[in-house]
Amino acid sequence: METIRDLVPPPHIQGIKHFVDYALVDEILKSKDFRQGSHQESQPFFGDSLLTIDHDVHFERRRLQAPLFRKEALEYYEREELLPLIDKALEESKTNMDEDGVVRADLCALIRTMLARISAVTTGIDGVDTPERTDAFRTYIEQLGTGATVEWSVEDHDDVIKRILEVRAEFVKEFYGPSVERRIKIIDKFKDGEVEEEELPKDLLTLMYLHWNDNWDEELPLREATLYLVASSQTTTHALPHMMIHLHEWFQEHPEDYEKRFDRDFLKQAGHEAIRLHLPSPALLRIALKDVTLSDGTNIAEGERVACLFTPANRDKSVFGDDARSFNPYRETPNVKPWGFAFGGGEHTCIGRTLVTGLSARTDNDEGTDGTLVNIALALYKAGIEIDPSDLPTYTELSFHDSYGRFPILLTNV
Amino acid sequence: MKDKEFHLKVDNEICQGTGYCVRISSDLFSINGRETAQVLIPHPSHNYQEDILEASTLCPTRAITY
Repeated sequence: METIRDLVPPPHIQGIKHFVDYALVDEILKSKDFRQGSHQESQPFFGDSLLTIDHDVHFERRRLQAPLFRKEALEYYEREELLPLIDKALEESKTNMDEDGVVRADLCALIRTMLARISAVTTGIDGVDTPERTDAFRTYIEQLGTGATVEWSVEDHDDVIKRILEVRAEFVKEFYGPSVERRIKIIDKFKDGEVEEEELPKDLLTLMYLHWNDNWDEELPLREATLYLVASSQTTTHALPHMMIHLHEWFQEHPEDYEKRFDRDFLKQAGHEAIRLHLPSPALLRIALKDVTLSDGTNIAEGERVACLFTPANRDKSVFGDDARSFNPYRETPNVKPWGFAFGGGEHTCIGRTLVTGLSARTDNDEGTDGTLVNIALALYKAGIEIDPSDLPTYTELSFHDSYGRFPILLTNV
Repeated sequence: MKDKEFHLKVDNEICQGTGYCVRISSDLFSINGRETAQVLIPHPSHNYQEDILEASTLCPTRAITY
Protein backbone atom coordinates (compact mmCIF):
# COMPACT_ATOMS: atom_id res chain seq x y z
CA MET A 1 0.00 0.00 0.00
CA GLU A 2 1.05 3.60 -0.55
CA THR A 3 2.48 4.93 2.71
CA ILE A 4 3.73 8.38 1.66
CA ARG A 5 1.19 10.60 -0.05
CA ASP A 6 1.29 14.17 -1.31
CA LEU A 7 -0.77 16.89 0.36
CA VAL A 8 -4.03 17.60 -1.44
CA PRO A 9 -4.87 21.21 -0.49
CA PRO A 10 -8.36 21.27 1.02
CA PRO A 11 -10.88 23.90 -0.10
CA HIS A 12 -10.14 26.35 2.72
CA ILE A 13 -6.59 26.93 1.49
CA GLN A 14 -7.32 27.03 -2.22
CA GLY A 15 -7.12 30.33 -4.10
CA ILE A 16 -4.50 31.90 -1.82
CA LYS A 17 -0.71 32.04 -2.05
CA HIS A 18 0.97 28.78 -1.07
CA PHE A 19 4.49 28.50 0.31
CA VAL A 20 6.20 25.12 0.06
CA ASP A 21 9.93 25.92 0.44
CA TYR A 22 11.29 25.26 3.91
CA ALA A 23 13.16 28.58 4.09
CA LEU A 24 10.17 30.71 3.10
CA VAL A 25 7.78 28.92 5.43
CA ASP A 26 10.32 29.41 8.22
CA GLU A 27 10.61 33.11 7.34
CA ILE A 28 6.84 33.61 7.51
CA LEU A 29 6.42 31.71 10.78
CA LYS A 30 9.20 33.70 12.44
CA SER A 31 8.05 37.07 11.13
CA LYS A 32 6.26 39.44 13.48
CA ASP A 33 4.56 40.95 10.43
CA PHE A 34 2.02 38.11 10.36
CA ARG A 35 -0.63 36.84 12.71
CA GLN A 36 -2.38 33.50 13.04
CA GLY A 37 -4.82 32.91 10.19
CA SER A 38 -5.83 29.31 10.79
CA HIS A 39 -8.88 27.96 12.62
CA GLN A 40 -11.34 30.55 11.33
CA GLU A 41 -14.23 28.09 11.13
CA SER A 42 -13.26 26.24 14.28
CA GLN A 43 -13.48 29.38 16.46
CA PRO A 44 -16.29 27.84 18.59
CA PHE A 45 -13.75 25.22 19.71
CA PHE A 46 -10.40 27.02 19.63
CA GLY A 47 -11.28 30.74 19.53
CA ASP A 48 -8.93 32.93 21.62
CA SER A 49 -7.05 29.87 22.79
CA LEU A 50 -3.25 29.90 22.84
CA LEU A 51 -3.29 28.58 19.29
CA THR A 52 -5.11 31.56 17.81
CA ILE A 53 -3.76 34.56 19.72
CA ASP A 54 -0.61 36.45 18.83
CA HIS A 55 2.24 38.58 20.09
CA ASP A 56 1.83 40.20 23.57
CA VAL A 57 -1.31 38.32 24.57
CA HIS A 58 0.20 35.07 23.31
CA PHE A 59 3.32 35.68 25.37
CA GLU A 60 1.34 36.30 28.55
CA ARG A 61 -0.88 33.22 28.06
CA ARG A 62 2.10 31.05 27.25
CA ARG A 63 3.96 32.35 30.28
CA LEU A 64 1.01 31.38 32.46
CA GLN A 65 0.97 27.84 31.08
CA ALA A 66 4.73 27.23 30.79
CA PRO A 67 5.12 25.72 34.30
CA LEU A 68 3.10 22.74 33.08
CA PHE A 69 6.01 21.89 30.77
CA ARG A 70 8.95 22.22 33.11
CA LYS A 71 11.30 19.27 33.17
CA GLU A 72 10.04 17.91 36.49
CA ALA A 73 6.44 18.17 35.32
CA LEU A 74 7.23 16.30 32.10
CA GLU A 75 9.02 13.61 34.07
CA TYR A 76 6.01 13.25 36.36
CA TYR A 77 3.52 12.99 33.47
CA GLU A 78 5.60 10.35 31.73
CA ARG A 79 6.42 8.29 34.80
CA GLU A 80 3.12 8.50 36.67
CA GLU A 81 0.45 9.11 34.04
CA LEU A 82 1.70 7.67 30.76
CA LEU A 83 3.69 4.51 31.52
CA PRO A 84 1.11 2.96 33.88
CA LEU A 85 -1.68 3.68 31.40
CA ILE A 86 0.24 2.04 28.57
CA ASP A 87 0.57 -1.13 30.68
CA LYS A 88 -3.06 -0.93 31.77
CA ALA A 89 -4.36 -0.49 28.22
CA LEU A 90 -2.36 -3.48 27.04
CA GLU A 91 -3.61 -5.54 29.98
CA GLU A 92 -7.20 -4.58 29.22
CA SER A 93 -6.74 -5.42 25.54
CA LYS A 94 -6.59 -9.07 26.61
CA THR A 95 -10.39 -9.09 26.59
CA ASN A 96 -10.01 -9.33 22.80
CA MET A 97 -7.62 -12.26 22.92
CA ASP A 98 -8.19 -15.17 20.54
CA GLU A 99 -7.93 -18.82 21.52
CA ASP A 100 -4.41 -18.77 20.07
CA GLY A 101 -3.37 -16.03 22.50
CA VAL A 102 -3.33 -13.22 19.94
CA VAL A 103 -5.00 -9.91 20.78
CA ARG A 104 -6.75 -8.05 17.97
CA ALA A 105 -7.06 -4.28 18.40
CA ASP A 106 -7.31 -1.01 16.54
CA LEU A 107 -4.08 0.91 17.00
CA CYS A 108 -5.71 4.37 16.83
CA ALA A 109 -8.19 3.54 19.62
CA LEU A 110 -5.50 1.84 21.69
CA ILE A 111 -3.20 4.88 21.51
CA ARG A 112 -6.00 7.23 22.54
CA THR A 113 -6.70 5.04 25.55
CA MET A 114 -3.01 5.07 26.50
CA LEU A 115 -2.91 8.87 26.26
CA ALA A 116 -6.17 9.52 28.09
CA ARG A 117 -4.66 10.07 31.53
CA ILE A 118 -1.83 12.33 30.41
CA SER A 119 -4.37 14.46 28.50
CA ALA A 120 -6.70 14.57 31.49
CA VAL A 121 -4.00 15.37 34.04
CA THR A 122 -2.32 18.18 32.10
CA THR A 123 -5.69 19.75 31.30
CA GLY A 124 -7.33 19.18 34.67
CA ILE A 125 -10.13 16.74 33.91
CA ASP A 126 -11.08 14.42 36.77
CA GLY A 127 -12.73 11.04 36.72
CA VAL A 128 -10.81 9.38 33.88
CA ASP A 129 -10.28 6.34 36.05
CA THR A 130 -12.29 3.28 35.01
CA PRO A 131 -12.15 1.53 31.62
CA GLU A 132 -15.69 2.75 30.89
CA ARG A 133 -14.91 6.37 31.83
CA THR A 134 -11.61 6.27 29.93
CA ASP A 135 -13.42 4.98 26.88
CA ALA A 136 -16.05 7.73 27.12
CA PHE A 137 -13.35 10.38 27.62
CA ARG A 138 -11.34 9.07 24.68
CA THR A 139 -14.40 9.21 22.44
CA TYR A 140 -15.14 12.80 23.51
CA ILE A 141 -11.58 13.89 22.69
CA GLU A 142 -11.77 12.21 19.31
CA GLN A 143 -14.98 14.04 18.48
CA LEU A 144 -13.77 17.37 19.83
CA GLY A 145 -10.80 16.92 17.52
CA THR A 146 -13.16 16.64 14.57
CA GLY A 147 -14.77 19.96 15.50
CA ALA A 148 -11.47 21.66 16.22
CA THR A 149 -10.15 20.79 12.76
CA VAL A 150 -13.44 21.24 10.90
CA GLU A 151 -11.62 23.13 8.14
CA TRP A 152 -10.16 19.78 7.05
CA SER A 153 -13.40 17.82 7.16
CA VAL A 154 -14.93 16.45 3.97
CA GLU A 155 -18.37 16.60 5.59
CA ASP A 156 -20.61 19.68 5.59
CA HIS A 157 -18.77 22.03 7.95
CA ASP A 158 -21.89 23.59 9.50
CA ASP A 159 -23.24 20.13 10.26
CA VAL A 160 -19.95 19.12 11.87
CA ILE A 161 -19.84 22.23 14.07
CA LYS A 162 -23.48 21.77 15.16
CA ARG A 163 -22.96 18.08 15.90
CA ILE A 164 -19.72 18.54 17.83
CA LEU A 165 -21.07 21.46 19.88
CA GLU A 166 -23.78 19.06 21.07
CA VAL A 167 -21.10 16.50 21.90
CA ARG A 168 -19.16 19.16 23.77
CA ALA A 169 -22.23 20.01 25.86
CA GLU A 170 -22.36 16.37 26.96
CA PHE A 171 -18.63 16.41 27.68
CA VAL A 172 -19.10 19.50 29.85
CA LYS A 173 -21.90 17.79 31.76
CA GLU A 174 -20.02 14.54 32.27
CA PHE A 175 -16.38 15.59 32.72
CA TYR A 176 -15.50 19.26 32.34
CA GLY A 177 -18.15 20.88 34.56
CA PRO A 178 -17.47 18.80 37.69
CA SER A 179 -13.71 19.22 37.18
CA VAL A 180 -13.99 23.01 37.02
CA GLU A 181 -16.31 23.07 40.01
CA ARG A 182 -13.78 21.16 42.12
CA ARG A 183 -10.97 23.47 41.08
CA ILE A 184 -12.90 26.65 41.83
CA LYS A 185 -13.71 25.32 45.31
CA ILE A 186 -10.12 24.45 46.12
CA ILE A 187 -8.87 27.77 44.73
CA ASP A 188 -11.37 29.57 47.00
CA LYS A 189 -10.04 27.58 49.96
CA PHE A 190 -6.49 28.51 48.97
CA LYS A 191 -7.43 32.18 48.80
CA ASP A 192 -9.05 31.87 52.23
CA GLY A 193 -5.85 30.33 53.58
CA GLU A 194 -7.44 26.92 54.19
CA VAL A 195 -5.14 25.01 51.82
CA GLU A 196 -1.51 25.49 50.83
CA GLU A 197 -0.44 26.35 47.27
CA GLU A 198 1.28 22.94 47.00
CA GLU A 199 -2.09 21.26 47.47
CA LEU A 200 -3.57 22.91 44.38
CA PRO A 201 -3.82 20.68 41.29
CA LYS A 202 -1.09 21.40 38.76
CA ASP A 203 -3.00 21.64 35.53
CA LEU A 204 -4.27 24.08 32.92
CA LEU A 205 -7.71 24.70 34.41
CA THR A 206 -6.32 25.41 37.88
CA LEU A 207 -3.81 27.86 36.43
CA MET A 208 -6.49 29.68 34.47
CA TYR A 209 -8.96 29.98 37.33
CA LEU A 210 -6.22 30.84 39.83
CA HIS A 211 -4.91 33.63 37.59
CA TRP A 212 -8.22 34.71 36.11
CA ASN A 213 -8.02 37.59 33.64
CA ASP A 214 -11.12 39.78 33.37
CA ASN A 215 -10.50 40.15 29.63
CA TRP A 216 -11.34 36.47 29.25
CA ASP A 217 -14.87 35.31 28.48
CA GLU A 218 -16.45 32.64 30.69
CA GLU A 219 -16.06 29.94 28.06
CA LEU A 220 -12.38 30.55 27.32
CA PRO A 221 -11.12 27.87 29.75
CA LEU A 222 -13.30 25.35 27.94
CA ARG A 223 -11.81 26.27 24.57
CA GLU A 224 -8.29 26.28 26.01
CA ALA A 225 -9.00 22.90 27.59
CA THR A 226 -10.26 21.64 24.24
CA LEU A 227 -6.98 22.70 22.67
CA TYR A 228 -5.01 20.83 25.32
CA LEU A 229 -7.15 17.71 25.12
CA VAL A 230 -7.08 17.52 21.35
CA ALA A 231 -3.46 18.51 20.87
CA SER A 232 -2.12 16.27 23.62
CA SER A 233 -3.46 13.16 21.94
CA GLN A 234 -3.75 14.09 18.28
CA THR A 235 -0.08 14.27 17.34
CA THR A 236 0.78 10.88 18.79
CA THR A 237 -2.43 9.22 17.58
CA HIS A 238 -1.76 10.60 14.13
CA ALA A 239 1.96 9.81 13.95
CA LEU A 240 2.30 6.42 15.62
CA PRO A 241 0.40 4.41 12.99
CA HIS A 242 2.63 6.01 10.32
CA MET A 243 5.69 5.21 12.42
CA MET A 244 4.59 1.58 12.80
CA ILE A 245 3.99 1.05 9.10
CA HIS A 246 7.25 2.75 8.11
CA LEU A 247 9.20 0.64 10.58
CA HIS A 248 7.39 -2.47 9.33
CA GLU A 249 8.65 -1.65 5.82
CA TRP A 250 12.08 -0.63 7.10
CA PHE A 251 12.59 -3.93 8.96
CA GLN A 252 11.55 -5.86 5.85
CA GLU A 253 14.18 -4.00 3.82
CA HIS A 254 16.77 -3.88 6.63
CA PRO A 255 16.33 -7.08 8.67
CA GLU A 256 19.62 -6.36 10.43
CA ASP A 257 17.84 -3.49 12.22
CA TYR A 258 14.95 -5.57 13.55
CA GLU A 259 16.49 -5.87 17.02
CA LYS A 260 16.50 -2.08 17.21
CA ARG A 261 12.74 -2.13 17.75
CA PHE A 262 13.65 -2.12 21.46
CA ASP A 263 16.26 0.64 21.12
CA ARG A 264 14.90 3.95 22.46
CA ASP A 265 17.30 6.12 20.45
CA PHE A 266 16.43 4.32 17.23
CA LEU A 267 12.70 4.65 17.99
CA LYS A 268 13.15 8.33 18.77
CA GLN A 269 14.72 8.96 15.38
CA ALA A 270 12.01 6.86 13.70
CA GLY A 271 9.36 8.91 15.47
CA HIS A 272 10.94 12.16 14.29
CA GLU A 273 10.89 10.87 10.72
CA ALA A 274 7.26 9.80 10.99
CA ILE A 275 6.11 13.22 12.17
CA ARG A 276 8.33 14.98 9.65
CA LEU A 277 6.67 13.09 6.81
CA HIS A 278 3.13 12.98 8.21
CA LEU A 279 2.20 16.18 9.96
CA PRO A 280 -0.86 16.35 12.16
CA SER A 281 -1.32 19.93 10.92
CA PRO A 282 -0.19 19.75 7.27
CA ALA A 283 -0.73 23.46 6.61
CA LEU A 284 -1.31 26.64 8.57
CA LEU A 285 -2.47 30.05 7.48
CA ARG A 286 -1.05 33.42 8.36
CA ILE A 287 -2.43 36.92 7.77
CA ALA A 288 -0.09 39.81 6.92
CA LEU A 289 -0.29 42.71 9.37
CA LYS A 290 1.26 45.08 6.79
CA ASP A 291 2.63 44.95 3.25
CA VAL A 292 5.47 42.44 3.32
CA THR A 293 8.19 41.53 0.80
CA LEU A 294 9.75 38.15 1.50
CA SER A 295 13.43 37.39 0.90
CA ASP A 296 12.63 35.80 -2.49
CA GLY A 297 10.84 38.99 -3.61
CA THR A 298 7.28 37.74 -3.12
CA ASN A 299 4.95 40.57 -2.15
CA ILE A 300 2.17 39.98 0.33
CA ALA A 301 -0.39 42.72 0.88
CA GLU A 302 -1.62 43.87 4.28
CA GLY A 303 -4.52 41.66 5.33
CA GLU A 304 -3.69 38.94 2.78
CA ARG A 305 -3.98 35.34 3.96
CA VAL A 306 -1.24 32.95 2.91
CA ALA A 307 -0.86 29.22 3.40
CA CYS A 308 2.32 27.59 4.67
CA LEU A 309 2.23 24.02 3.37
CA PHE A 310 4.23 22.06 5.90
CA THR A 311 4.04 18.70 4.16
CA PRO A 312 6.03 19.72 1.06
CA ALA A 313 8.26 22.01 3.16
CA ASN A 314 9.14 19.05 5.38
CA ARG A 315 10.14 17.12 2.25
CA ASP A 316 12.32 19.94 0.88
CA LYS A 317 15.40 18.24 -0.62
CA SER A 318 17.59 21.28 0.01
CA VAL A 319 17.08 20.79 3.74
CA PHE A 320 16.47 17.07 4.27
CA GLY A 321 18.52 15.62 1.39
CA ASP A 322 17.71 13.94 -1.92
CA ASP A 323 15.73 11.21 -0.19
CA ALA A 324 13.64 13.74 1.74
CA ARG A 325 10.39 12.13 0.59
CA SER A 326 11.30 8.76 2.09
CA PHE A 327 11.50 7.40 5.63
CA ASN A 328 15.05 7.09 6.97
CA PRO A 329 15.54 6.69 10.73
CA TYR A 330 19.23 7.45 10.27
CA ARG A 331 18.62 10.85 8.69
CA GLU A 332 20.82 13.61 10.05
CA THR A 333 19.48 17.16 10.09
CA PRO A 334 22.22 19.23 11.69
CA ASN A 335 20.76 22.63 10.86
CA VAL A 336 17.08 22.14 11.56
CA LYS A 337 14.88 20.29 14.00
CA PRO A 338 14.47 16.66 12.87
CA TRP A 339 10.68 16.99 12.82
CA GLY A 340 10.76 20.16 10.70
CA PHE A 341 7.45 22.02 11.05
CA ALA A 342 5.54 19.17 12.68
CA PHE A 343 5.04 21.39 15.72
CA GLY A 344 4.69 24.65 13.78
CA GLY A 345 7.21 27.42 14.16
CA GLY A 346 7.85 30.87 15.57
CA GLU A 347 5.94 31.88 18.68
CA HIS A 348 3.19 29.40 17.80
CA THR A 349 5.49 26.40 18.13
CA CYS A 350 3.45 23.78 19.98
CA ILE A 351 3.79 24.25 23.74
CA GLY A 352 3.37 20.52 24.31
CA ARG A 353 6.00 19.35 21.86
CA THR A 354 8.17 17.81 24.58
CA LEU A 355 5.29 15.57 25.67
CA VAL A 356 5.50 13.90 22.26
CA THR A 357 9.22 13.99 21.50
CA GLY A 358 10.53 13.86 25.04
CA LEU A 359 13.31 16.08 26.28
CA SER A 360 16.29 15.84 23.98
CA ALA A 361 19.80 16.75 24.94
CA ARG A 362 20.20 19.15 22.08
CA THR A 363 17.05 21.18 22.35
CA ASP A 364 15.97 20.79 25.94
CA ASN A 365 19.09 21.19 28.01
CA ASP A 366 18.81 17.74 29.48
CA GLU A 367 17.53 14.29 28.86
CA GLY A 368 14.99 12.78 31.16
CA THR A 369 11.93 11.79 29.17
CA ASP A 370 11.45 9.91 25.92
CA GLY A 371 7.99 11.20 25.07
CA THR A 372 4.79 9.49 24.05
CA LEU A 373 5.96 8.24 20.65
CA VAL A 374 8.95 6.28 21.94
CA ASN A 375 7.27 4.92 25.04
CA ILE A 376 4.17 3.68 23.25
CA ALA A 377 6.14 2.27 20.30
CA LEU A 378 8.47 0.41 22.66
CA ALA A 379 5.54 -1.06 24.63
CA LEU A 380 3.86 -2.15 21.39
CA TYR A 381 6.99 -3.92 20.18
CA LYS A 382 7.35 -5.65 23.54
CA ALA A 383 3.70 -6.71 23.17
CA GLY A 384 4.57 -8.24 19.80
CA ILE A 385 2.77 -5.79 17.52
CA GLU A 386 2.16 -6.94 13.95
CA ILE A 387 0.10 -5.33 11.24
CA ASP A 388 -2.90 -7.60 10.63
CA PRO A 389 -2.16 -9.11 7.19
CA SER A 390 -5.81 -10.02 6.70
CA ASP A 391 -7.15 -6.54 7.43
CA LEU A 392 -4.77 -3.82 6.23
CA PRO A 393 -4.91 -0.25 7.55
CA THR A 394 -7.00 2.29 5.68
CA TYR A 395 -6.80 6.08 5.56
CA THR A 396 -9.59 8.17 7.01
CA GLU A 397 -12.28 9.18 4.56
CA LEU A 398 -13.66 11.88 6.85
CA SER A 399 -10.98 14.52 6.38
CA PHE A 400 -8.19 15.75 4.13
CA HIS A 401 -5.70 14.84 6.85
CA ASP A 402 -3.03 12.25 6.12
CA SER A 403 -4.43 10.04 8.89
CA TYR A 404 -5.28 6.41 9.26
CA GLY A 405 -8.93 5.83 10.08
CA ARG A 406 -8.53 2.15 10.86
CA PHE A 407 -5.32 0.41 11.80
CA PRO A 408 -5.97 -3.21 12.80
CA ILE A 409 -3.09 -4.80 14.67
CA LEU A 410 -2.23 -8.10 16.28
CA LEU A 411 -0.49 -8.27 19.64
CA THR A 412 1.20 -11.63 19.98
CA ASN A 413 2.96 -11.19 23.31
CA VAL A 414 0.62 -9.43 25.71
CA MET B 1 20.54 22.84 40.98
CA LYS B 2 22.07 24.82 43.88
CA ASP B 3 25.61 23.66 43.24
CA LYS B 4 25.33 23.76 39.50
CA GLU B 5 27.30 26.35 37.61
CA PHE B 6 25.25 27.81 34.80
CA HIS B 7 26.57 27.73 31.24
CA LEU B 8 23.89 29.72 29.52
CA LYS B 9 23.61 29.18 25.76
CA VAL B 10 21.18 29.85 22.94
CA ASP B 11 21.21 27.39 20.05
CA ASN B 12 21.03 29.82 17.14
CA GLU B 13 19.99 27.11 14.70
CA ILE B 14 16.89 26.43 16.77
CA CYS B 15 16.15 29.94 18.07
CA GLN B 16 13.27 31.55 16.18
CA GLY B 17 13.85 35.05 17.49
CA THR B 18 10.57 35.46 19.36
CA GLY B 19 12.38 37.47 22.01
CA TYR B 20 10.50 35.76 24.82
CA CYS B 21 13.75 35.23 26.72
CA VAL B 22 14.51 38.97 26.56
CA ARG B 23 11.11 39.69 28.06
CA ILE B 24 11.94 37.40 30.96
CA SER B 25 15.41 38.86 31.53
CA SER B 26 17.04 41.60 29.52
CA ASP B 27 20.08 41.17 31.78
CA LEU B 28 20.65 37.68 30.44
CA PHE B 29 19.48 37.90 26.83
CA SER B 30 19.42 40.38 23.97
CA ILE B 31 18.06 40.31 20.47
CA ASN B 32 18.88 43.87 19.35
CA GLY B 33 19.03 44.01 15.57
CA ARG B 34 19.55 40.26 15.29
CA GLU B 35 17.41 37.42 14.05
CA THR B 36 18.20 35.24 17.02
CA ALA B 37 18.82 35.85 20.70
CA GLN B 38 22.26 36.12 22.26
CA VAL B 39 23.40 35.48 25.79
CA LEU B 40 24.76 38.49 27.66
CA ILE B 41 25.98 36.68 30.78
CA PRO B 42 27.30 33.20 29.91
CA HIS B 43 27.86 32.23 33.56
CA PRO B 44 25.12 33.95 35.55
CA SER B 45 24.92 33.73 39.32
CA HIS B 46 22.23 31.75 41.10
CA ASN B 47 20.27 34.95 41.61
CA TYR B 48 19.13 34.40 38.03
CA GLN B 49 18.04 30.82 38.55
CA GLU B 50 14.29 31.44 38.27
CA ASP B 51 14.73 33.62 35.18
CA ILE B 52 16.89 30.96 33.55
CA LEU B 53 14.36 28.21 34.26
CA GLU B 54 11.44 30.29 33.08
CA ALA B 55 13.17 31.50 29.93
CA SER B 56 14.29 28.01 28.96
CA THR B 57 10.82 26.53 29.48
CA LEU B 58 8.98 29.43 27.89
CA CYS B 59 11.16 29.57 24.78
CA PRO B 60 8.82 28.17 22.08
CA THR B 61 11.62 26.15 20.51
CA ARG B 62 13.44 25.42 23.78
CA ALA B 63 16.64 26.79 22.29
CA ILE B 64 18.07 27.85 25.65
CA THR B 65 20.33 25.53 27.59
CA TYR B 66 22.05 26.24 30.88
